[in-house]
Amino acid sequence: MWGYLFLSPWIVGFLAFTLIPMLATLGFSFTNINLAQETPLTFVGISNYQRLTTDPQAWSSLAVTFRYAAIALPVGVILPFAVAMLLNSRSLRGSSAFRVLFFLPYVVPFVAGVLIWQGMLNAETGWVNGFLQTIGIENPPNWLNDTGTVYPALVMIGIWGIGAGIIVNLAGLQGIPTELYDAANIDGAGWWSTLRHITLPMVSPVIFYTLILGVVEVLQYFLVPLVLNNGTGDPAGSTLFFNLYLYKQFFTFQNMSYGATLAWLLFVVTLAITLVLFATARRWVYYAGER
Amino acid sequence: MRTRGRFFTVLIALALLATACGTQTSPSGSVPSTGASGPVSGGQVEIRWYCCLGGGDAPEQVEVENKVAADFNASHPNIKLTFEAVPYDGARDALATQIASGNPPDIVGPLGIGGANAFPNQWLDLGPLIQKNNYDLSQFPENTVQIYQLAGEGQVGIPFAIYPSALFYKKSHFEEAGLNEPPHKYGEPYVWPDGREAEWNYDTAREVAMKLTVDKNNKDATQDGFDPDKIVQWGFEPQRDDPRQVGAYWGAGRLVGDDGTTAQIPDAWVAAWKWWYDGMWTDHFSMTGPQFESPDLNPSDYPFFSGNVSMSENYLWSTYGVGDAGDDWDLAAVPSYNGQTTAAFNADTFRIMKGSKHPDEAFEVLTYLLGDASQELLTVYGGLPAREANQDAFFETLGDQFPQEVDWQVARDGIQYADNPNFESPMPNYNEALDTLNTFGSKLQSEPNLDVDKEIATLKEQLQSIFDQSS
Repeated sequence: MWGYLFLSPWIVGFLAFTLIPMLATLGFSFTNINLAQETPLTFVGISNYQRLTTDPQAWSSLAVTFRYAAIALPVGVILPFAVAMLLNSRSLRGSSAFRVLFFLPYVVPFVAGVLIWQGMLNAETGWVNGFLQTIGIENPPNWLNDTGTVYPALVMIGIWGIGAGIIVNLAGLQGIPTELYDAANIDGAGWWSTLRHITLPMVSPVIFYTLILGVVEVLQYFLVPLVLNNGTGDPAGSTLFFNLYLYKQFFTFQNMSYGATLAWLLFVVTLAITLVLFATARRWVYYAGER
Repeated sequence: MRTRGRFFTVLIALALLATACGTQTSPSGSVPSTGASGPVSGGQVEIRWYCCLGGGDAPEQVEVENKVAADFNASHPNIKLTFEAVPYDGARDALATQIASGNPPDIVGPLGIGGANAFPNQWLDLGPLIQKNNYDLSQFPENTVQIYQLAGEGQVGIPFAIYPSALFYKKSHFEEAGLNEPPHKYGEPYVWPDGREAEWNYDTAREVAMKLTVDKNNKDATQDGFDPDKIVQWGFEPQRDDPRQVGAYWGAGRLVGDDGTTAQIPDAWVAAWKWWYDGMWTDHFSMTGPQFESPDLNPSDYPFFSGNVSMSENYLWSTYGVGDAGDDWDLAAVPSYNGQTTAAFNADTFRIMKGSKHPDEAFEVLTYLLGDASQELLTVYGGLPAREANQDAFFETLGDQFPQEVDWQVARDGIQYADNPNFESPMPNYNEALDTLNTFGSKLQSEPNLDVDKEIATLKEQLQSIFDQSS
């Protein structure tokens, strides 16, 4: 009984702010609810879902999200791991200072960071292109206004916030028993064999955790394009991510029922990908305590 | 088990109660207030004034708006007027969120026709309040009153400010280029330095603009060796707040046909968009998107304010920041297209939201803004008073503000060339259609090798699809 009492704040919060709103949006998706509500609120069956199948913008914004994920997800998983490996290296001097430096950007408010990056990546006046010009690149990319370079630019901005990922990976690396490395060393294993047969399996739960969070984060990618372009999707709709389109349906176009339908599509897509990842986890994630 | 079941039942009931205590969007469309604006103390009623769906967010404007609210509060002990400025870029979403959460403001403004169209059926019919308070509408020209009479919605606004258009230009740039200034009177030709006369149309404007576009080596855009990557002065800037406005200076039109459901792109707008696109990417007289977005090249809202643009089509509201361009600017006639001149027209006012819990007090504030405070506000907004009796005084104030003897008659003359139908005319699914249009505009500004005809055809298809969804 006491246990439930202590759990109750979370349970109430979960019900009031997650489960019930989720069920409410499911209900909304079968109605015609919108902000102006000129017509009476009615049950419209699956018409919002039918509209979804023929809405080119919905699928195009989902494609935008996947295109970005194809670049951002590998970088978001591999780079923190690689940096953590470097920071964990015995031959690195001043590793504590580096850890602080890599983590520092994470504590800067992300919106402020995005605005600074916006200035740095400006094609005409940004520091990045200024640097590229000084090293002889005459026509550097128009990072944020060119559909070909906007995703790499967004990934660069994302790298700014990998401090937390580095810490998690570092914790995983430091949890690997040193006996395993000693044994491998005696057996004559090189750097690559040690990485492949000891380090990666031992930190695979951490990589799996980072991957799952990365998938959820990238499918919900919202803040950076909203701050950079006020949610306009510039340039030419290439930053109109699915979550941004969903937000616009809700609050800019004031179409609550269709926004709810989009939200459910996002939920289903996220759930499906997460389930697939969990299904594959048995093959590549090693839990020492399991066997 | 039974105890556990009861416990969960209580928890769920509490959760449902908490949810029920929250606010919902009313199916009737009238949104209940959470009481965020309402009685404050000693019988005082709080009225929230929300800005800035259509300008009013520049620091110098916010300063005056805050002062107006303070002055009102000092003279009206029964009402506490709270001014809330949300920057234009985020103002629509913020207002939508406030409405959706049942916490709408009482008064919104300054607000243009398009800004109001973004929130259909959210505006209070002022008719009963006008009658109750014997508010005299005859002080305004009848056609400006009619702008705010909507079928099924009533009198949703009272005229406040009108914004005719003109061509702002830098006299020194023309002098440096050895060119004559553009004509001030509509219908007069442009005179080239050799005495040739040419119709003051967009073909002539293009030629002039290219001569006024200069790179860092002082070569203009018509000369060999001109470097488009190192432009320091641009010849022409259209009104690019949205692509409809670029088009509206070429000819009046709207994106939906007379049947209210068929998407259309006016021919004049197609011509305008192509001219502008070439102006950015081929002729180089207009800033590209990245240049426009650069805070160094375009530090204020409009590039003309930087002093590095020679000609700029814009509304009279530009007077709020045009002082930054120096003291050598003047006004000229807007060029014509196909022998016809169109000077896009805009109008702003303040409106009361249907969801206001205190419409009487809100109306008292509204009449103050349109009356006692109007002179101060109109000056800082650059808005020509809709009250004809106040127009001379307004131009006198502008004359004091800009002592270089600007030819304000050009702005007065522009009124007769106002676009009709107005470019901001209602269309189905207004917000979504405008969003699609702006994506098209972004493409024009950011992609140098577009097939513009194909993009326009795609835009028309997209608009039709959006219009169809509203039926």
